[in-house]
Amino acid sequence: MILPDIFLQILQVLCVLLLAPLLQGFILKIEERVQRSRGPSLFQPYRDLWKLFHKECVAPESASWIYFTAPMVAFTAMLTVPILIPVLTDRPLPLSDMGDMLGGGLILTLGSFAIILAGLDTGNAYGGIGSSRAVMLTILAEPTLILVLVGISLLAKAMLPFVVNHLLLGSLSIYWSPAHLFLILAFLSLLLVETDRLPVHSSTHLEIYMIDEARILEYSGPLLALLKWASMMKQVILYTIFCNVFLLPWRMSQIGTPLGELGSLATLMIKFLLVALTVVVIETVQSRLRFYRYQEPLAAGFLFAVLAIVSSQLL
Amino acid sequence: MFLAHINPLQASIFSSLAVASLLLTFVMLGSHWLRNYVYAFAVQSWLIAALSASVGYFAGYPELYLIAILTALFRGLVLPFLLTRIIARLNVKREIHTVLQPSSSLVLGAFLVMFAFVIANHMNRQSLLAAHVVVLALTIMFSMKFLGFLMLSVRDEAVSQILGLLVLENGIFLGAQILVPGMPLLIEIVILFDLLIVVACFGMLVRFLVVHAGTTSSRQLNRLVG
Repeated sequence: MILPDIFLQILQVLCVLLLAPLLQGFILKIEERVQRSRGPSLFQPYRDLWKLFHKECVAPESASWIYFTAPMVAFTAMLTVPILIPVLTDRPLPLSDMGDMLGGGLILTLGSFAIILAGLDTGNAYGGIGSSRAVMLTILAEPTLILVLVGISLLAKAMLPFVVNHLLLGSLSIYWSPAHLFLILAFLSLLLVETDRLPVHSSTHLEIYMIDEARILEYSGPLLALLKWASMMKQVILYTIFCNVFLLPWRMSQIGTPLGELGSLATLMIKFLLVALTVVVIETVQSRLRFYRYQEPLAAGFLFAVLAIVSSQLL
Repeated sequence: MFLAHINPLQASIFSSLAVASLLLTFVMLGSHWLRNYVYAFAVQSWLIAALSASVGYFAGYPELYLIAILTALFRGLVLPFLLTRIIARLNVKREIHTVLQPSSSLVLGAFLVMFAFVIANHMNRQSLLAAHVVVLALTIMFSMKFLGFLMLSVRDEAVSQILGLLVLENGIFLGAQILVPGMPLLIEIVILFDLLIVVACFGMLVRFLVVHAGTTSSRQLNRLVG
């Protein structure tokens, strides 16, 4: 039995939606275990979301319509991106050609743009600080992202993630070529910055150097839950792109049988496990950088992207 | 010339060793700590030794084995040992006043690599697979030279300036190993002794700086003393 394409597409979105808190809980748990404490339960993020959705919504008096729409925009953006990328199946589904990688990047950035505006909207000092820091990071990360996309399109001669996946599946020599390895390193540095990890973001949120938490400090109740869920989904989306397009393109469902989809889901979780463990190792050995040294990991990422482009010219 | 009939396995071994040594140059460029520079230089020298041994094996130049051993011994052990001794005697652990921040020098280094690639691409006259290795070797040779110059010009500490010179020399050596593997043994030995003398001279210079200027940063030497 082959599942209909439209069902698979909904399944991809649901998969990202429901896996997001689990991944977050897993990373938090493992980080605590590394530090020899017990850590929260794997399912704590689900409980947090449940709790927040059942609270009443309190808004500051200075809030305008931007404050109320930003969480919906961010959440919808994160629901849209899984349609465009290979989550479970490695072939394009009906709506996957709505946008290529640049389109996906645009929608991801739209989500964070909405949150930045919301941080500025209420006039709270912390919101302003958080938004300005987030904008600075975005400005620093953008050249690397663009160069990674350029590198990928030079390698695969296409901007579609599915084409890249098939290219890497097809030939081991391209997988191990310096261009591709440099792209992996460049994307890893982007991944750490974009998913609120060290060395740029602090591991304990709610302190004076917070970036993402500062922007959403004024939110409460269901709106806060939406924002938190959106940021967890962004993490899952970036992990998915990193695993299925760059690092581990293997073992995805090709035909679309229920069993194949289940296997694809299981391997996706194993891939997440590997990447999450790497991230936990980086978070454990790294200390947080000073504010004026944020550009160093991003400069390294930029360097890797440039080297990838240079070595893709050598092939 | 043996590059004209190189097979893909050899090409990938050479290119991965060369790319890894380029990355180590960037480790030097992006770090604040003097000790990291020395370690990166030592590992880079070991990689170059491995490269010359593999070129010797695949191209059939037995004297390259000797060069590999000498490289590993002198550049990989003796020079780093001397440098760590110099650093241990000084009270300097890191670059403090940099003209260029590490992140900006990384970005500048990336542009230098692009420039090196453009030059190398113009110089290339080889057929397909050989062209890959030749352009790669030329690119990495030029970029290591440029990065060595960059380190010489933006770093103030005497130790990092020695390392800039050594990186520059490593780059030339790496390119020469791949492009003209039959380089006479005598020249190689002469170069190795040159390097020893460079490090010894710099050791003297550092002593002089400490005694007369009270610091190891060459920044103090900019002023004219009448």
